[in-house]
Amino acid sequence: MKRGLRDVALAIAIVVVIGGLAMIVAGANPIDGFGQLLDGALGNPSEIAETLVQTTALLFPALGIAFAFRAGLFNIGAEGQLILGGMAAGVVGVMVPLPAVLAVPLTLAAGAFAGGLWGGIAGFFRARFGANEVIATLMLNVVALLLATYLIGGPLKEAGATASETASLPAAAQLPGIFPDSRLTLAFPIAIVLALVLRWIFRRTVFGYELRAAGEAPEAARRAGVNLARTAFVAMATSGAIAGLGGATIVMGMLHRFNTGLSPGYGFIGIAVALVGNLDPLGICIASFAFGILQSGAIAMQAMANVPRDVVSIVEGLVIVALAGRRVVAARRNA
Amino acid sequence: MRGGEIHALVGENGAGKSTLSAIAYGSVTPDAGTIAASGPVGLVHQHFQLIERLTVWENVLLHREPRRGPFVDRGRARTMVRELAARHGLFINPDAVVETLPVGIKQRVELLRELAREPQILLLDEPTAALAPGEIEAFFATVRRLADGGSAILVVTHKLAEVTAYSQRVTVMRAGAVVAQYETAHTDAGEIARAMVGGELPALAARAATEPRPRLVIRDLSAGHGNGTLSKVSLSVAAGEIVGIAGIEGNGQSALADALAGVLPYDGTIELDGTPLPSALGPAARIERGVRIIPQDRRHEALVLDWNVRDNAMLGRQQHAPLRRGAIIDRSVAERYAREVIERFDVRPPNPNAIVDGLSGGNQQKIVVGRALAGEPKLVIAYQPTRGIDIGAATLVQSRLIEARNAGAAVLLISFELDEIFAVADRVIVFFGGHVAGAFTRTELDRGRIGALMAGDA
Repeated sequence: MKRGLRDVALAIAIVVVIGGLAMIVAGANPIDGFGQLLDGALGNPSEIAETLVQTTALLFPALGIAFAFRAGLFNIGAEGQLILGGMAAGVVGVMVPLPAVLAVPLTLAAGAFAGGLWGGIAGFFRARFGANEVIATLMLNVVALLLATYLIGGPLKEAGATASETASLPAAAQLPGIFPDSRLTLAFPIAIVLALVLRWIFRRTVFGYELRAAGEAPEAARRAGVNLARTAFVAMATSGAIAGLGGATIVMGMLHRFNTGLSPGYGFIGIAVALVGNLDPLGICIASFAFGILQSGAIAMQAMANVPRDVVSIVEGLVIVALAGRRVVAARRNA
Repeated sequence: MRGGEIHALVGENGAGKSTLSAIAYGSVTPDAGTIAASGPVGLVHQHFQLIERLTVWENVLLHREPRRGPFVDRGRARTMVRELAARHGLFINPDAVVETLPVGIKQRVELLRELAREPQILLLDEPTAALAPGEIEAFFATVRRLADGGSAILVVTHKLAEVTAYSQRVTVMRAGAVVAQYETAHTDAGEIARAMVGGELPALAARAATEPRPRLVIRDLSAGHGNGTLSKVSLSVAAGEIVGIAGIEGNGQSALADALAGVLPYDGTIELDGTPLPSALGPAARIERGVRIIPQDRRHEALVLDWNVRDNAMLGRQQHAPLRRGAIIDRSVAERYAREVIERFDVRPPNPNAIVDGLSGGNQQKIVVGRALAGEPKLVIAYQPTRGIDIGAATLVQSRLIEARNAGAAVLLISFELDEIFAVADRVIVFFGGHVAGAFTRTELDRGRIGALMAGDA
């Protein structure tokens, strides 16, 4: 808990100090910049809805990353898992003519399956050969993006279209909206329920207990009967499935078709979100909302205060470096 | 401390002995008070501070190496180390690489490095922890010669037999303060022990008459690689019996324990109640069959330090009813398990929510032993179960092991402390070089003979 509070304080300090400095360097008034950022994210109901859309998009990969992290595995491949999940949803949603009650779950499941497969590959190599999951997932990001780019530019391209993207999803495969004139859909409550389910898994189930033991003290866990290889595989596959599910909700709720530009780096920002949330599903919900504000407020900040929205990217990147770096150093020290 | 004298500093773990010697050496700054020394101070650490990949002379002369221009004068360095060793009667090859040396010789290197500084005061922190009985005698002969040469020697130890045999004076510490000082000639081990614990020693549990039936049978067991390989070991432990494995660390004990735990592949056969346990059978299946492990390294192999007592007390039992109910952990059973361990083993504080990392080593070990002995285990592998814990906690752990034996468990006790094995075991098997070097029943125990076997003298 203490570590969690320190991380949150560190993250806020980075946002305020570095963000403020970056605004000054960009020639803007930081007070004005932050004011416009908050106003643009929370100023009226439809802006709040868009902030929740961004919150949802971050919540899925962050929960997936936390799931692996709890098992002691660093999944930095959420971006690739999210892209492939989105692609699978885009393809299945277009191809399967079914009523919404079937089409929506099936399309979501396709996304989760594709992401799970991608995470599971890294998990398999880790479990079977002890391969470093950081390197495996990092490289699989590149493979995922190139694979999607190839398929979307060729075999899966909409007939006659000029842009590289799939055909538009039929209405039955789209996630229903839950707030008028916004992109806020059923994805948001699904993400919140998922967070609660994950919290329950961690705290109450035998699997969650063994997963946390494997993450905190692998040698002790092994001697207590925890199958470390199986745990690593299941954790990585589940982690990827959650990120893939997130990709599917972006395609089904926000874009209504798949193209490779579906994510501005949700899978990477999700690392910072997971760490700021202290790997606890409820903490991650709150952290996702905070980063959602940054994401959705950035555009208003650029337009109104003349601050480049890249300032937000800089700040998010520094939060990742600071928090992930600390975790890695701490892990080394314990090893 | 006086020149020409061996001064023993004794006390339980955490009494402040190592802190005091570190302050005297200068590696820890005192909050208050002063230390005066008539000359250089040397310190031989409990855990050797040697660079394994370097040679003996490189270790001994590190930072004091003789130079020839920008280069190290290797010839002169070798000569210096050889002469230093000969002067103190510590024979050693200056060109040997430290990692290839046995523990006893490594300690000689550690001692030589300090002697090269010509100390008038020499602090020895648990110097005999890794030595065989015969090596201990030789070591104290060397130390005695140094004292006779006018040096003041401080030996930090918890082995009272060494205190009474080799020291002239003894200082007892408890809870960070000096509580007693004696001329060794005018005291005895009992008085020193009472001063250490601040009262009477608790008695060990009585051993009841049992009818040993064959339980664990090991034939031609080979496992591990490098130092500490186990080769073709055969032994058996009966239900209602404690078998002690005597030996110096690194003679195959770890490989034996890990093979039994199911975390190290092996050749040969292990049978439990007549059923073979194949090498591929993992820890979960062994736990299911009643095998319980008290691992060597409680902080890494036994406990999740960031967790509380409750979550640690159930570790290892999470796959079995009644704790496991379908996919879920029954929280009332978890609470009951934790309470049982806390009560039977007097864990302090008696709070299931206490984080284990904040507990003393003794209380951490009580949790590890407590959960291993819960629920009628068939076979208990206890690896150094009282390492680094105070006398009170150690006696409690030993008593509970005897009670488990009385109740019909087969107990394999691996310990580097002969006193512990003599106090607890029904039979003793001596390990040397990964082989069984000898076996004794309780009535034929012979400390001299066992010590010789431990050192490899057949």
